[in-house]
Amino acid sequence: MLARSRLLVGAVRNAAVNTTKRAASTSAEAASPFKLNAAGTAATAVAIGSMAWYYHLYGPELHAMTPVEEGLHPTKYPWVHAQYNKTFDHQALRRGFQVYREVCASCHSLSRIPYRSLVGTVLTVDEAKAMAEENEYDTEPNDEGEIEKRPGKLSDYLPSPYKNDEAARAANNGALPPDLSLMVKARHGGCDYIFSLLTGYPEETPAGAVVPEGLNFNPYFPGTGIAMARVLYNELVEYEDETPATTSQMAKDVVEFLNWSAEPEMDQRKKMGMKVLVITSALFALSVWVKRYKWSPVKTRKVAYARPQMGGRRGH
Amino acid sequence: MGFFDIVAAAMPWSESEAEAVSGGSSTESTPANSGGKGEGEAKDPSGPTPDDKDEGGDEGEEKEEGGEKEEEEEEEEEEELVDPKETFEEECKESKACAPIKHHFEECVERVTGTTDSKAPHEDCVEEFFHLAHCATQCAAPKLWAALK
Repeated sequence: MLARSRLLVGAVRNAAVNTTKRAASTSAEAASPFKLNAAGTAATAVAIGSMAWYYHLYGPELHAMTPVEEGLHPTKYPWVHAQYNKTFDHQALRRGFQVYREVCASCHSLSRIPYRSLVGTVLTVDEAKAMAEENEYDTEPNDEGEIEKRPGKLSDYLPSPYKNDEAARAANNGALPPDLSLMVKARHGGCDYIFSLLTGYPEETPAGAVVPEGLNFNPYFPGTGIAMARVLYNELVEYEDETPATTSQMAKDVVEFLNWSAEPEMDQRKKMGMKVLVITSALFALSVWVKRYKWSPVKTRKVAYARPQMGGRRGH
Repeated sequence: MGFFDIVAAAMPWSESEAEAVSGGSSTESTPANSGGKGEGEAKDPSGPTPDDKDEGGDEGEEKEEGGEKEEEEEEEEEEELVDPKETFEEECKESKACAPIKHHFEECVERVTGTTDSKAPHEDCVEEFFHLAHCATQCAAPKLWAALK
């Protein structure tokens, strides 16, 4: 309706233009086409100009930090456990826990992980019990109110290397080795970042780079100066399954282990997601059949039209 | 026995049962078995099995570069492990795709190490290094994951 009226208006206007044109031509002065298009040209110029102005004001992206301060963004690695239909490789978790225990644990705590949660995913019960018993924990106060020491149980949490953050800083030249329990979730890039960080120490710092005293150059660490030196070297640990313990293998295993420690529920979560898909698709299929059933009287209804009798007259 | 293991693993109460068995042969045997299987599975796609290695040493040397490098790695494995990440990244840095970036980096290194002019503004090659590292790791990532377990 609207379109048609617009068309009509257009036709009328055209007719008007034609008449004026004819009138003008009779007065021997041809109207230039510029005059006719002036409004359109001006509007277009304003539109383009405003776009250009907007781009000038807001277009170029500004980075507050230099690339060095930002750090090198980690490469995406094709982690198998990150796929939707894959679980953690528990053999890798076992190796990763070994790396954590033998290498990382001397500085980094893993304070949110109790021994019991390692049972069945990383260790067997007996291994976990034996490992827990290697450490001493405080008891409840005894009859005299003294707090004694007892060997660890499955319900105890992994021991931290330092008593508190201050002790950790004091022992590490002022730098605090962060707790690793949730580290995969706590850093941009997650697994990729940690893997890159562990394996990314270059043999020599690039020319001209200034590394402050007591720090090490790592391209993936924001600012590139990291207090942690390279720790993983080939054959640092000896795997019980005789996997060659190269730097990248150890890093990969320990990162998968840290992903487990950050998301121990991942396998269950994916299973739950699958269940959701199964149940919703089953219910949807059911609803389709129920709808068919409920609508069957409507769909199979036959509407008959009986022509009214026109009082005996035939034809019109 | 193997079949019953599978049945036991499928049972929902198998976990509590594992707890009941004390340090005996059964608890230890299961991880060991699964470990053996895992190794076999992981090694097959990654490349030559130990049997293949020996044959490859005799024949595969002249066939292609890849074979040669693998062989080198295997030889060195006995003496000293070589990190596959480093070898792949070195290869990638030399590749055609990373050539212009590598050229930039080397040019920068030359420029920075060459200047003795103390008045010249301080310059570093970190950004060029970033680009080169990015290119190399990007190219090495799938190869590395195929080689690692």
